[in-house]
Amino acid sequence: MDPKLIADLYSFIPELTVTGTLLLVILADLSLARIRRTLTFVVAAAGLLAAFAFTIPLFGAEPRSLFYGMIALDPMAVFFKAFLLLASLLVLLAAPGSSELAKRQVGEFYALLAGVTLGMMLLAASTDLLMLFLALETVSVGSYIMVGYLKNDRASNEAALKYLLFGAVSSGAMLYGMTLLFGLTGTTKMSAIRDVLSGAAHPGGNALMLLVATVLVIAGFGFKTAAVPFHFWCPDVYTGAPTPVTAFLSVAPKAAGFATLVRFFFTGLAESHGVPPQWATLVSINWMPIVMVLSIITMTFANIAALRQENMKRLLAYSSIAHAGYMLMGASVLSGDGLQSVLVYLITYLFMNLGAFIIVIEIYNRTGSFELKDYRGFSRRSPFLSVAMSIFLLSLMGIPPLAGFFGKFYVFAAAVNRNLVFLAVIGALNSVVAVYYYARVMKAMVIDTGEETARVRVSWGNLALIWVMLVPTVCLMLFWNPVQRLTSSSWHLFLGN
Amino acid sequence: MIGLGHYLVISAALFSLGIMCVLTRKNAVSVLMGVELILNSANLNLVAFSKYAAGNLNGQVFAIFIIIVAAAEVAVALAIVLSMYRMLRTVNLDRADTLKG
Amino acid sequence: MDTSLLSQIVFYFFAAVTLASAAVVVFSRSLIYSAFGLLFTFFGVAALYVFLGADFLAATQLVIYVGGILILLLFGVMLTHKLYDLNLKTETFQVAPSVLLMLAVFGVLVLAMMQTAWYNAGPRQPEPTTAAIGTLLMKDFILPFEVASVLLLIALIGAAMIVRRRAE
Repeated sequence: MDPKLIADLYSFIPELTVTGTLLLVILADLSLARIRRTLTFVVAAAGLLAAFAFTIPLFGAEPRSLFYGMIALDPMAVFFKAFLLLASLLVLLAAPGSSELAKRQVGEFYALLAGVTLGMMLLAASTDLLMLFLALETVSVGSYIMVGYLKNDRASNEAALKYLLFGAVSSGAMLYGMTLLFGLTGTTKMSAIRDVLSGAAHPGGNALMLLVATVLVIAGFGFKTAAVPFHFWCPDVYTGAPTPVTAFLSVAPKAAGFATLVRFFFTGLAESHGVPPQWATLVSINWMPIVMVLSIITMTFANIAALRQENMKRLLAYSSIAHAGYMLMGASVLSGDGLQSVLVYLITYLFMNLGAFIIVIEIYNRTGSFELKDYRGFSRRSPFLSVAMSIFLLSLMGIPPLAGFFGKFYVFAAAVNRNLVFLAVIGALNSVVAVYYYARVMKAMVIDTGEETARVRVSWGNLALIWVMLVPTVCLMLFWNPVQRLTSSSWHLFLGN
Repeated sequence: MIGLGHYLVISAALFSLGIMCVLTRKNAVSVLMGVELILNSANLNLVAFSKYAAGNLNGQVFAIFIIIVAAAEVAVALAIVLSMYRMLRTVNLDRADTLKG
Repeated sequence: MDTSLLSQIVFYFFAAVTLASAAVVVFSRSLIYSAFGLLFTFFGVAALYVFLGADFLAATQLVIYVGGILILLLFGVMLTHKLYDLNLKTETFQVAPSVLLMLAVFGVLVLAMMQTAWYNAGPRQPEPTTAAIGTLLMKDFILPFEVASVLLLIALIGAAMIVRRRAE
């Protein structure tokens, strides 16, 4: 066996741990019915936690490629490994507190969560189109099943079918685009694709084909990150899926999608120069305006569509599409600042968005409803839930000094630094529109009066989780130095030899 | 003489037919058939490029993985379709309208 | 008649079979006809693989696509239509605009292909591919190979979980 391969395996321990977790959860699911629920949960949580612990020593590792150039081990990949493991762990902890999942066997759910986590970690690190495709499909197939997990529930089934059909079509289109890139360059390695394309004798000659290939590939990324116009599935799937799965989809696969989008465009279709690197698009394909337009229509469309939503899950679905738009903006400005702003945004988004979803889960447990009208007067039924929800929503709006403000600030600053003031202005205008629909929820909870007035008790598990999300959302600015240091060292990509 | 161009035109036609199938069909199984056409067109591209462009077997290996993925996807899809059929007695997308888009 | 002319005739025959049956898949109003159209498309593409010197892939195509995927799809067609639902019809909608769109997609692709200079590392010599593919899978593609196994495991767990009938 190749000694290099053995060395690579040492840097692959987090992924191996997650794979082991997947298998152990399946074994634990065969145990006695009485302890099965607890045992599978403990095994899954311990496995993901161990994988997270094994990821920490990898921070600061020498950037290099692993497994014959299939994946990269670089600061960006390590950051996303840790981020995705944390997101999966938080969703896992939220799962037992959901009354939707309580009706079902949960062993397979934890196994699928571990499998999807593995796929996302690989997706964020893929430097080869084949690896990217396989990881993407691992995430997708796992997600389809998780969405359809309530198999006796009509909405959950429909959501799974819709998600699967849209997913299969968009990954097919993406694949076709990838094969065209393979034909243009004779390779599937992103860095080699860049070298061939930038070294071409007539850089303008293949412009049309490159454009076609790029647009097709963007369709795949757009699907995964739910960017307009590839977002059709998103509101329906988010509404039909079990709420913990919705929370998961709105954060983790989206983040992994961004990681791979950034890696593909910055490694494969852009040239870097200088230390720290500055990027410029390849002469033959200027994709920067495409991603920029995508970002603008994504946030604008989603924010406007969110205005008239009456269902909390749909509202948060459109809100998550809008946030994807802001993050795309950070990626589209083609600079280190921009990449850093995406990472900052993801960290803040993780806590505020999951927090909001956990409150939605808790309110559903108590009222059996996701409708905004049943949120009326909730401040009299549970002041804690109302205050916590208001904080998460204010943070999603981007009100200082809450966490969400810093994400938006970094993104807009990155745009201004590249002299793209109009982009920052469009983003800011969008944030103003968004204030309205978030405020509507707060108004319903705090100002309106509802028919029900019975007090609601919050289960201790969800109470603890809400605090776990609330503290970073409120106090992130106090720990700004570590966050700043982490993100400014984590946006570096391994760009190939 | 048969060359790369011939295969590419066939694959482009398969791709367009697949897209058309996906757009016009309401039945979930038909949409899946359209997806299979798209995947086959991508595979044909890969194998043709493997011979004429890259000059190695990497494209063929890529195609093998696509076939594996297609099998996994169809298996999950059919499971969901069956489960849904049990509940609704229909697999037509326009009758799957609990979630209004 | 020389062999190159013969091989050209055979090529065009299989190309025609592939495209005609793919058209049946798309335009037929009966799901069963569509499924059988797909069968011939898969066969036609497998024949094209043979032309391209991909013997192992052609066999894989037949075994997995025809033997596995198509059977699954046929099961889907049959199982989801009980006797009272005899008219195995699928309504198509907006045919004219989608035909135009299809032609546009095809046109753009062919237009782009005509002006493209593809990468050219010199043609590969025809030779048996099975051993070489096996070596590649165990060496350069070892990670995708392993990940594919996880993907299949996930699909297996998921599909079994969804269709299993069990009182819960």
